[in-house]
Amino acid sequence: MSLLARVVEEQREDISIAAIEGEVDASNVQELGERLRTLLTNRSTALIVDLTETTYLDSAGINMLFELAGELTDRQQRLQLVVPAATPVLRMLTIAGLIGAITTHETQDAALAALS
Amino acid sequence: MIADMPNLPAPGDSPDVADGDRLQALERITDAALASLSAEQLLRELLLRITEILSSDTAAILLLDEESKLLHARAAKGIEEEVEQGVKIPVGRGFAGRIAAQRRAVFIEDVDHADILNPILREKGIRSLLGVPLLVEDRVLGVLHIGSLVPRRFTGEEAALLQLAADRAAIAIEHATLYEQRQLAEQLQRRLLPTDLGFATGMQLASRYLPASHESLGGDWYDAFVGGNGKVVIAIGDVVGHGIPAAAVMAQLRTALRAYAVEGHAPGEVLELVNRLMTGIGPRAMTTLAFALIDTERTSLELVVAGHPPPLMISPAGEPSFLEVAAGMPLGVSELARYEAQTFAFEPGAMVLLYTDGLVENRTEPIDAGLERLRALAAGGGGVEALCSKLVARLVPSERHDDVAMLAARIEPVPERLSGSWPAERGVLAGVRQLLRRWLETRGATADEIYDIVVACQEACANAVEHAYRPGQHSFELDATYDGGRVRVTVRDQGRWRPQRGTHRGRGVMMMRGLMDSVDIEHTDEGTTVVLERMLGAEAA
Repeated sequence: MSLLARVVEEQREDISIAAIEGEVDASNVQELGERLRTLLTNRSTALIVDLTETTYLDSAGINMLFELAGELTDRQQRLQLVVPAATPVLRMLTIAGLIGAITTHETQDAALAALS
Repeated sequence: MIADMPNLPAPGDSPDVADGDRLQALERITDAALASLSAEQLLRELLLRITEILSSDTAAILLLDEESKLLHARAAKGIEEEVEQGVKIPVGRGFAGRIAAQRRAVFIEDVDHADILNPILREKGIRSLLGVPLLVEDRVLGVLHIGSLVPRRFTGEEAALLQLAADRAAIAIEHATLYEQRQLAEQLQRRLLPTDLGFATGMQLASRYLPASHESLGGDWYDAFVGGNGKVVIAIGDVVGHGIPAAAVMAQLRTALRAYAVEGHAPGEVLELVNRLMTGIGPRAMTTLAFALIDTERTSLELVVAGHPPPLMISPAGEPSFLEVAAGMPLGVSELARYEAQTFAFEPGAMVLLYTDGLVENRTEPIDAGLERLRALAAGGGGVEALCSKLVARLVPSERHDDVAMLAARIEPVPERLSGSWPAERGVLAGVRQLLRRWLETRGATADEIYDIVVACQEACANAVEHAYRPGQHSFELDATYDGGRVRVTVRDQGRWRPQRGTHRGRGVMMMRGLMDSVDIEHTDEGTTVVLERMLGAEAA
């Protein structure tokens, strides 16, 4: 995983933030998904996944985000994505129908503001 | 109380050893059969025979560690505790230390009134001691001593016999030590060099490592791996020193370099971090290094050099030139050393060669002449293997005083038609992406077009990987053509796509359809073929 992508983590009270830097594909998506899940505790109210520095994302990563969103909903936690406008990643998420299904923001600040 | 041997009766005067016995004793010590024993066995056997011949109660061999100047107890009889407790005696001090420092026999008649460092000798109740140096060509390898539990005056003859045994032991130790060290260093070194140079998609790598002919190996080392951000790292270094100590430094260098490079640090930063680490390890960790980070997509190379000869670049037309880069200090010299990387174009079809000084240095001419000879020889076409073979054949003598190592890298030229076969493993996907990006770039695709087409192709490749579910080796093929503005990519596998389960079924196919003008998926008994098409310069369908 470390070769293609890394996760930069941050904790803001009950909100976990994970920025995925690098490329997400079938080879590292499982490990990344597990990493994101470890960020959530019973106290967590939300997870923000920041894709600003994600340089590659295909259906492998998108499926993982969908699954993660489902799990969080079941636990009454929220998943929010950070995706800057007019980026290839936003285009991929749009084609896959993820926009609308999961709340997205253009910046981390916007995501935090929406959660507070 | 303490006597050097000249004060002892001369050999032959002694009534203690009869002529016949002496002859037999000599034979037992010079016995050719001893040569077939390992070093450990030989030392044990010699000590046993010595104690028998000279009727001594104890015997011990201590070997000198050149670096620490300490004598280490290596074999003992009657005072096995010496070895078990790892007794270490500084040269010049105590009984054994004095023998090593003065390079001559020392006799102690009464241990109680002598300068003895090792308490075990007293604790065992040894009263008298006789010791001789282990010498090879005037070098002290260690000390052999015998002891008596009752007060005893050793004779000159006994001292001579002991010296004979010591000479015998010294030669055997010397041979065995050199052999064992070389074996060890070679084994260690082999594990430190990369075994797989075929890992980088779109690149060719070749290497050679030729150890020095005699005695111990030098400290040459190289590595090639995928660093952070998927770029390829190639590095070569020359650790000061040789043999096992050099290999140990090499192992640390390799680990540090890989760790920092994989973290994604910039090349100059990688060297500064490694340098700080090596400086902390100690003065023996000095090493030269050439480090290059290759970006196959942008076809560039970031180079940083620490006291190492300049890498050679050979243009696609076969013209060689040295990469002019301001070299920093060797690693491990100063914590304050700074390293700056320089970026060079690394065109497809060009080659870069990293090497160690053994390739360009010999003892009879200045290094400039060697560099020029290398440059001249590297001219001309051919791949990385051919280049390495030619350089070894023309520049490396069969008898050499130094190691020679080289590592050559080439970015494969982007072909008109991209075609290849890969094992059906997830790990290959990133490499295929890089290759596709480069190919699409040369076809004039925009960044967005490249992203879309790459994702669509990856969906097809990922499906091929996911569905390689039958046992055995599986592979998939990718074929990309460009004609009249139209990109056409065919991905073929031998698997059958299983009906997908769960809520995410078919998202990959959905992505392909969303990103390409046309998607054609055909399942047959032989496997699955996906044909993807997209016009460049137009909006996606």
